Amino acid sequence: MSNSNEDYILKINNIEVKYHEVILVLKGVSIKVPKGGIVALLGANGAGKSTTLKAISGLLNHENGEVTDGSIEFMGERIDKMRAEKITKMGIVQVIEGRRVFEHLTVEENLKVAAHLKRKGKKVKEGLDMVYHYFPRLKEKRNILAGFISGGEQQMTVVGRAMMTDPKLILLDEPSMGLAPMLIHEIFNIITKLNKEEKISMLLVEQNAKLALNVAPYAYVMENGRIVMDDTSEKLQDNEDIKDFYLGFSEHGERKNFRNVKHYKRKKRWLT
Amino acid sequence: MENFLNVIVSGIMTGGIYALVALGWVLIYKCSGVLNLAMGEMTLIGAFVTLSFYSMGVPFLLAIIISLIIGFLLGLLTERIFLDKLIGESILSTIMLTVGLSFFFKGVVQLIWGVDNYVFTPPVFSLEPISIGPILFKEVFMWSFVAAVILLIIFVSFFKFTRWGLSMQATADDEMAALSLGISARFVYSIAWAIAFMAAGVGGTLLGNISGVNISIAHMGLTVLPAVVLGGLNSVPGAILGGITIGVMESLVGTYVDSWLINTIGVPLSIKDIAPFVFMTVFLLFKPYGFWGWERIERV
Repeated sequence: MSNSNEDYILKINNIEVKYHEVILVLKGVSIKVPKGGIVALLGANGAGKSTTLKAISGLLNHENGEVTDGSIEFMGERIDKMRAEKITKMGIVQVIEGRRVFEHLTVEENLKVAAHLKRKGKKVKEGLDMVYHYFPRLKEKRNILAGFISGGEQQMTVVGRAMMTDPKLILLDEPSMGLAPMLIHEIFNIITKLNKEEKISMLLVEQNAKLALNVAPYAYVMENGRIVMDDTSEKLQDNEDIKDFYLGFSEHGERKNFRNVKHYKRKKRWLT
Repeated sequence: MENFLNVIVSGIMTGGIYALVALGWVLIYKCSGVLNLAMGEMTLIGAFVTLSFYSMGVPFLLAIIISLIIGFLLGLLTERIFLDKLIGESILSTIMLTVGLSFFFKGVVQLIWGVDNYVFTPPVFSLEPISIGPILFKEVFMWSFVAAVILLIIFVSFFKFTRWGLSMQATADDEMAALSLGISARFVYSIAWAIAFMAAGVGGTLLGNISGVNISIAHMGLTVLPAVVLGGLNSVPGAILGGITIGVMESLVGTYVDSWLINTIGVPLSIKDIAPFVFMTVFLLFKPYGFWGWERIERV
């Protein structure tokens, strides 16, 4: 991976995030996303992954949070003090956690709402066709209220909805949450396809580390609001700590028997 | 029989005005989930503004247009000054703020115009009743109804066919998700308040032509509440249906029950004012979301 600045679409430099001006949730987080690449962000519950995404997309301000130190650069421009709608206009869209469709609008209206910033008239139609091309299932359900479709279809709707904003970078927050393995597989296939064919960069937050490391060539590991490790996925997959704590294999490569895990004996080799 | 028809028709026409004010409620509720308890006072302000310009000699139609423009600006201003800071806070605190706003508005009106009753002089609409077949009604009722219908059509198509209408519904459904797509909640709310203020102003003006302009118009805000709830808090067609239902009911109860109470029992009670509330309470037992309100979708 080359280190020249132009190759990165997003650069987070050493940011610190506080909620309500006192609660420190992120400390010295630095992440880089290459142009057209996929980067995964791993970590347990409460590690600060979603907060990192919200800091990028500007949704943080809405929750009384603030980037108090460091900077976030998107295509060379600082965005950490911008309003969320401006950031979306620049080409970053966050798919928030938990399949938040607009329940009382139809699937197609869900998609159309998202188009309001950049697409007008004919371009809305083009956008719809593009989304239906990647998610043929949504085309079948387009006139049904989004509250009534299945969980997998709702996840497709929110990803499709994000596509309608014409993004350059998509921040995906746990797209696999609460879905059947087969559906997860289907959705991740489409996500990789979007990355390859539409040249959209992605920052992927996942708890399912195995899945994330398969999709993304590079990953960061977060714990307690810090980045504790970052490397190529291949190397991370071989790392003993990652295997132990995230992938669930023992040192011999067998499936781990959780009865034998003694966390107090096994120290992590990084500082938290 | 003729009397009965008359009562129904005048009920429907007053219902048109109720529907207009109800629409203001629905609009704000629909996009922000806030029950705007200052609606009555907004109606009052609209009525006084039109009256002031009319008394200065401005033609009535022009006075209404000026009042619409001022209503729009006041709506924007109210949202910017008082409500902007509460975006993202709990809905309840915003609702409490509208209670405060209602007192504030009422105070301002009393400060500027006092507590006297004003009438539109010279009267805008002729006092001679119009007759269609056996049915008699005053001109003002007819025009109120027409104005209400026209405005309602405009609003419904705004929600159905424009991108901003769609954005408003999306914001109502999930503010955070809407924000993540670049929909500006601030903009959506300001527009909603501006339009609500306009609708309230027209409603107030029409009402002022029927019963004179005074502080009691503010009570309209509450009278309309059953209409809104009946229709389902976030349904535009529901507001229309609710408004007309309440109008007809008031008119029926006022004519038959109240006169029966006085003539037969000899008690001068006005049941008419509370009838809609009683009806609303009973109705909600059976249909908690009103006629067309959004039901919470829960998947099992």
